Amino acid sequence: MLEVRDLSTKYVTRYKEDVYAVDRVSLKIEEGKTLGIAGESGCGKSTLALSLMGYYFPPLHYISGEIIIDGQNITGMKPDEVRKSILGKEIAYIPQAAMNALNPTRKVIDFIGDVIRAHDPTWTKQMIYDHARALFERLGLPAEVLQKYPVELSGGMKQRTVIAVAVTLTPKVLIADEPSSALDVTSQKMVIKMLRDMMESGFIKAMIFITHELPLLYNVADDIMVMYAGQIVERGTAKQTVFDPLHPYSKGLMGSILVPESGLRSAKLTAIPGAPPNLKNPPPGCRFADRCKYVKPECRVTSVPLYEVGHGRAYRCILPEEELRRAYEHGE
Amino acid sequence: MKGYTKYFLNKLGWFAITFVFAFILNFTLPRLMPGDPVAAIVARQAQGISNPTGVQAIYQQYTELFGTDKPIIEQFFIYVRNVFRGDFGFSFSQYPRTVAEVISASIGWTLILQFPAIIVGWILGNVLGAMAAYLRGGFDKVLMPSALFLSSFPAFGMAVILLVIFAVHLKWFPTSGGYGYTLIPSLTPTFLWSAFVHYQLPFWSIVLIAIGGQAIGMRSMSIYELNADYVKFARFMGIKDDKIVAYVFRNAMLPQVTGLALALGTMVGGALIAEIVFSYPGLGTTLLNGVMGQDYPLISAATLIITFMVLTANFILEILYGVIDPRIKAAQSD
Amino acid sequence: MQHTLRQVFRSGKFIVGFSILMTILLIVIIYPWVVRHPPLQIIGQGTFFPPGIYVNVYDAIHAPTLYTLNLEDAAANRIGNKLRQEDRVAMKEWLVAFGVPEDEIDIDDTEKLLALWEANYNPDLRLPGMTFARHRYFQRVNASIDGLLSTEPAIIAAPNSETGALEQKALIRQTDYANVDEVANVRILALGTDNFGRDVLTQLVAATAVSLVIGLVAGLIATTIGLTLGLLAGYIGGLVDDVLMFFTNLFTVIPTFVLLILISFSIGQDKRGAITIAMVIGFTSWVWTARAVRSQVLSLRNRDHVNLSKLSGHSVPRIILVDILPYIASYVVMAFILQVSSGILAEAGLSILGLGPRTTETPTLGLMMNWAMIYQAHILGKWWAYLPVLVTIALVSFSMNLMNTGLDQVFNPALRD
Repeated sequence: MLEVRDLSTKYVTRYKEDVYAVDRVSLKIEEGKTLGIAGESGCGKSTLALSLMGYYFPPLHYISGEIIIDGQNITGMKPDEVRKSILGKEIAYIPQAAMNALNPTRKVIDFIGDVIRAHDPTWTKQMIYDHARALFERLGLPAEVLQKYPVELSGGMKQRTVIAVAVTLTPKVLIADEPSSALDVTSQKMVIKMLRDMMESGFIKAMIFITHELPLLYNVADDIMVMYAGQIVERGTAKQTVFDPLHPYSKGLMGSILVPESGLRSAKLTAIPGAPPNLKNPPPGCRFADRCKYVKPECRVTSVPLYEVGHGRAYRCILPEEELRRAYEHGE
Repeated sequence: MKGYTKYFLNKLGWFAITFVFAFILNFTLPRLMPGDPVAAIVARQAQGISNPTGVQAIYQQYTELFGTDKPIIEQFFIYVRNVFRGDFGFSFSQYPRTVAEVISASIGWTLILQFPAIIVGWILGNVLGAMAAYLRGGFDKVLMPSALFLSSFPAFGMAVILLVIFAVHLKWFPTSGGYGYTLIPSLTPTFLWSAFVHYQLPFWSIVLIAIGGQAIGMRSMSIYELNADYVKFARFMGIKDDKIVAYVFRNAMLPQVTGLALALGTMVGGALIAEIVFSYPGLGTTLLNGVMGQDYPLISAATLIITFMVLTANFILEILYGVIDPRIKAAQSD
Repeated sequence: MQHTLRQVFRSGKFIVGFSILMTILLIVIIYPWVVRHPPLQIIGQGTFFPPGIYVNVYDAIHAPTLYTLNLEDAAANRIGNKLRQEDRVAMKEWLVAFGVPEDEIDIDDTEKLLALWEANYNPDLRLPGMTFARHRYFQRVNASIDGLLSTEPAIIAAPNSETGALEQKALIRQTDYANVDEVANVRILALGTDNFGRDVLTQLVAATAVSLVIGLVAGLIATTIGLTLGLLAGYIGGLVDDVLMFFTNLFTVIPTFVLLILISFSIGQDKRGAITIAMVIGFTSWVWTARAVRSQVLSLRNRDHVNLSKLSGHSVPRIILVDILPYIASYVVMAFILQVSSGILAEAGLSILGLGPRTTETPTLGLMMNWAMIYQAHILGKWWAYLPVLVTIALVSFSMNLMNTGLDQVFNPALRD
């Protein structure tokens, strides 16, 4: 459904410095699957989400790579073409801080109208209303919401409304960036249920779910990718990645589930001391080398490729699978 | 109760309270001074008038009008009654004209000068501020320091500089007055043209000052809104940039309406002084004449009228704001 | 704290503003040590003497030594000083009108022109259609160029004490020079004199100092009141908050300017000193600080570290001092700077209305402006009486606004460019 090949993007800061936030990321999602992306804050997972849209505006810039949605390569298209025929229609994005994702001075229905008309200006008001009403009913949201301003909605309702708006044009792929992290437990459950229902009913064909909350990710995702410093460091099924992590970073990350404060977005990994490298000048070797317990001299010299180990599983470390597993058993 | 009605009544009540309070201040502040100020001022003033019947008339009228021999509470109610009748007594400095006459001759000039100037300044300032926020780069780098410098300038300073450049040196505009001194106010083309020409410099000096402050405020608000999450979401939903820019500037401008309401008092104060520089026949110049002539009744009435004007404008802005910003209605309904 | 300061001093805007302000402060402090003239002393008989170096003519003549300098352009300068280009053109006009052929006149050849003039000019003749004023103008030109080409020395004579007849005492030749350093009395009036004949520069420096003090006192009062009320309203909340906010809102909408006028007028001219005015300004301008502080405190009140402090049983003053004040310090500093600069502007506004400090003892920037306005310096083209004052006001206020913008960008990163 969605295939990404060697996608690289960068941020250009106001001092005209390049920050290589996404480095040669490849991924593939089959129809009906949910891909989870895990990592500390600042590891590039949100930037990856933005980069996957194929629509770039400053400070984010495209460098190289391909994005193929349902067989259609969107990286060669003109920006306005992407805007008109891809955004919202093929791929949609639910932003991290969905609380403020709706224009506060526009009624929900008017914003939906803006979205629809941005792709097809011929829609009448009545058509838009009928469509939105049907959509909201299908997603289990009250139709009164349409006539309200965002300030009049509760947090959970606002988030579900944002999701509904995002899928107005029935996109095939949905990218959800921390869709539930700012909500209370009840609202969180409702949001997750809504996303799951949409997947199960085939309303959307594939989903990328980004969160730092591993237990949640394990519940939602079929496959999990772990990101570190703009690169994928490990990829596998949810079960494999959570219970049998290969990369030392994944191992540390999974260990942090036990850290009581892992629910806080700002919480740093207590299991792994140190901070991610500066991506203005990424280190030539393994980007995790400085924080790695098992670091070898050659790690710092040559860059490490992503080793495929079969069944879609891959990891980015020069140590063999077996050696890593052994080290983890002894180390713990 | 519907959201907006509630908001409206709330603001109306607040308008009434502030006005009553301002009214009381206007009455008590001069009387808080030691001694019996009104009587003292009358006595002191009367010495300045060469016409002995005038002195007598003023003295008697003031004792009567203000009831200076009665307790202060009673004086207050006498004052209230007089004000509602529009009776502010005689002007000390321009006897035998009454204060009401003097004020009504100048209030129109001030209204015609200040409110259009402040509104034009507000609009231009917002447009420039929004452009600075959206374009950034060179435009922003030139505009922002200039706006900052402009807003640092006292209104009278801008007035003096415009006057020196355009009236004294270039002689494009007259140096003072509201119309040619040989003319009598009327609706003839000659008079209107003269008034128009005299209007320009005071008008633009107020506009320029207003632009500075508003541009800075609008720039900050716009930058804040441009970075808001809804901008990103709207973009990724495929909404065109011009539509998003419209969202942003509408949202940034809404707080600027309240900003204007709050800044109005200061702006009017500055503009009154700009009037003085041009000897514009408005309330500012009247106030100056009042101060020069130690004309207490005139000052008291002028300040009361100015307060009333500012409070009313403020109220209108708040009401307008309630209409254009949907968040107000929404916030009131829960 | 140190880190914050370092950050602040890395902001270009702040540094520029700070440097301007410090330069002004230094001048204000150092100048009175160098020039010890009383600022309000009336020295000029007459109004608005232009800026320049004033050399005492009597002392110049009586300088210990007169030097002879043979300078080639001396005569030309002397004539140029008396006979300006417009006069030459006018002379040509007169000569042409009275029959001298136009091609014979070269207005750049002074000698020839003057010779022609001497030969043809008749003060009694009046061109047909020439106004009386123009006629008089030619007479004046004629008088001023009389003897311009003469190389005779000027004679200094004094009456003989017995006969009363004038006796020649000395000759001042056209090549005589006095060294300014040897002239007993020279006064530099870099900005001329004002309408009362007072040295504008000296007065301006004194006025800047007083205005800064007024701004400072007003700012301190306003910030203290605003901070106290804001802390009380924000931290204690409840009824205290309601009552305080009621009054704050009242004073927000009632124009401060009107209050200032009423109070200043009521105080009366005799009791209005600079400090009194500063206090009045301070007492009427605390509103914004109170609002800003309150909203900051409200957002701080339930932060973890404050709650922790409460649970540990710390006293309210301690919590406010240790757990709240440091967090709002940057806002308070910014508000204070703003108050100082608006205090200076408020004084200027009041003074222009004639409600400033009483005029006898201390000058302020507003009073100087007021005098310049009353004596129409701006219309008469006496720029030195008002422009330096305006520039000073604008610079002081601009520098403070710049500092504030710099601080704002340090504390609110989104505004950075």
